[in-house]
Amino acid sequence: MRLITHNMLKCHVKNCKEPDKQFPLQFKDAKLEQIEAERNNEFLVRMLPRIDWPALLKTTKELGIIIPEKVPANPADDDEFLQALHTAILEMHVKEGSMVCNGCGHEYKITKGIPNMLLAEHEI
Amino acid sequence: MPKFIVHFAHFHEDFRLAELEALTLLEDVVVEYDRASYNPESPFLIVEIESALQAAKLVRRGILVRSIVEYWGSGSTYEELFAEVRRQPERWAEYKSCSFKFTVEAFGKSLSQKEKISTIESFSFLGFEGPIRMKNPSAEFFVCEEYGESHEPLPFETPRRIWFGRVVGRGSRELIDRFDVKKRKYLGNTTMDAELSLIMANQALARPGCLVYDPFVGTGSFLMTCSHFGASSMGSDIDGRQIRGTAGFRRDVDGINANLAQYQLQDLVLDTAVFDVCRNPWRDGMLFDAIVTDPPYGVRAGAKRLGRKNGTIPERSLRIVDGEESHRRADYYPPTIPYEMSDVISDLLEFAAEKLVVGGRLVYWLPTVADEYEPEDVPAHPALRLVANSEQPFGSWSRRLITMEKIAILSDTDHLLSEQGSLARDPAHKNFRDRYFTKFKRDPEDPELN
Repeated sequence: MRLITHNMLKCHVKNCKEPDKQFPLQFKDAKLEQIEAERNNEFLVRMLPRIDWPALLKTTKELGIIIPEKVPANPADDDEFLQALHTAILEMHVKEGSMVCNGCGHEYKITKGIPNMLLAEHEI
Repeated sequence: MPKFIVHFAHFHEDFRLAELEALTLLEDVVVEYDRASYNPESPFLIVEIESALQAAKLVRRGILVRSIVEYWGSGSTYEELFAEVRRQPERWAEYKSCSFKFTVEAFGKSLSQKEKISTIESFSFLGFEGPIRMKNPSAEFFVCEEYGESHEPLPFETPRRIWFGRVVGRGSRELIDRFDVKKRKYLGNTTMDAELSLIMANQALARPGCLVYDPFVGTGSFLMTCSHFGASSMGSDIDGRQIRGTAGFRRDVDGINANLAQYQLQDLVLDTAVFDVCRNPWRDGMLFDAIVTDPPYGVRAGAKRLGRKNGTIPERSLRIVDGEESHRRADYYPPTIPYEMSDVISDLLEFAAEKLVVGGRLVYWLPTVADEYEPEDVPAHPALRLVANSEQPFGSWSRRLITMEKIAILSDTDHLLSEQGSLARDPAHKNFRDRYFTKFKRDPEDPELN
């Protein structure tokens, strides 16, 4: 699972209602792997408004990935920024581990890079 | 503007104009034509486009377009056609000495090699002196005698029309072979055929820079075709076995990932996840450029969503088994309840209205009972505009490829308006599963439904 996907997912357990705790989910025992991918600047720039930057910053810090603290004024012209963003959200994969909700504690497992976001009976 | 002949594949006739219109948006090419002149029984459509380069650009990713031909003339007889070609001798000069070839075809009849050669010779008045080259000629000319489809052999019938021009561009029909499901490392029982999956990518306007999502991803066909055209894509499914490839056909090849490696699409097919789109974990503010999907009709195994049947104890998942809460165990699978198809579709529209960018597209299959279908059965939503509705008939039932565009931001009151209360009767896809099994005569050639 890439970090772009992680940035879009929140805990959706029925009675878990505190937005600050539902998102971002916290990685636990994350096994990271970097896989090189072709960079597409147009995609990166179009996705920027859809990315929750504080959440991405928090998650990358926890995983030891470095990205700029702030989105520059003209991201489309900032090659260094785009490369850092590309590496963080599209080249870093969490292969194994889990994502834990800071609110209800639900643990979403990641196996072979595929997160299992299904809920249990008492959570729907 | 110069005239061109769009030469369609004679297949999926109800999808061809919709695809052509999607291509005009994808390629940003201005095309003018008379909608009334489109005849589903003919593979040809006359259009006007600014230049040959623009015409080639228009059709380059067309799946139902074979080629586009610069119009030089037509007629119900060769004499008529030649007379029209002779009116513009000034355009012959450019091809006087370059390499060239002629392709002679008939639609609805087969021509002998001898007939083809004599047809080519009849064009000798053009005075082309360059070498004839069958591979990569500088100019390719196209002659087609259009007879029309008939099951009776009618050898003496005269053609409806004969067409002539210079081929300036081709579609991408070779992709149908490239993505042929039989060639894929991994596939499932209900994997959509390659041609339709590719057409769906065009309807979705899948292109570089955009993000496509399939909420019923199955074995990932649409992620592959959309990403082939440069879109980034994601998918989810309630059944993780489909994604991982631990059930169904050709198991244990690493599921969708095996195909992504085969087609080198790992950079663009971003992720797949296991969840029920009815209870999805997408956060607020998450938006897609297109949603492309084949929803579960509930025919094969009965569509499922997460839920508890009446009377079951919700806390069952919390029981302690071997010192561990049961839902934490590796073999835990949450309970599911049947998911009626009309609910699947109305939930899908609601989801699209919320999660698409304005201008983004929803492309999905809607099965309907043929003799009960009315156009107003196609579910509507105030935030979505119907763009295309193309039918693939199977006799007593059909499936329709529905394309919708998000036109407005969803406001809270829209939820109430979207209820299908306005229909006086049930739509022709209601309880489709029951009717599929009880009423229809099915053909062994029909596709497997999921």
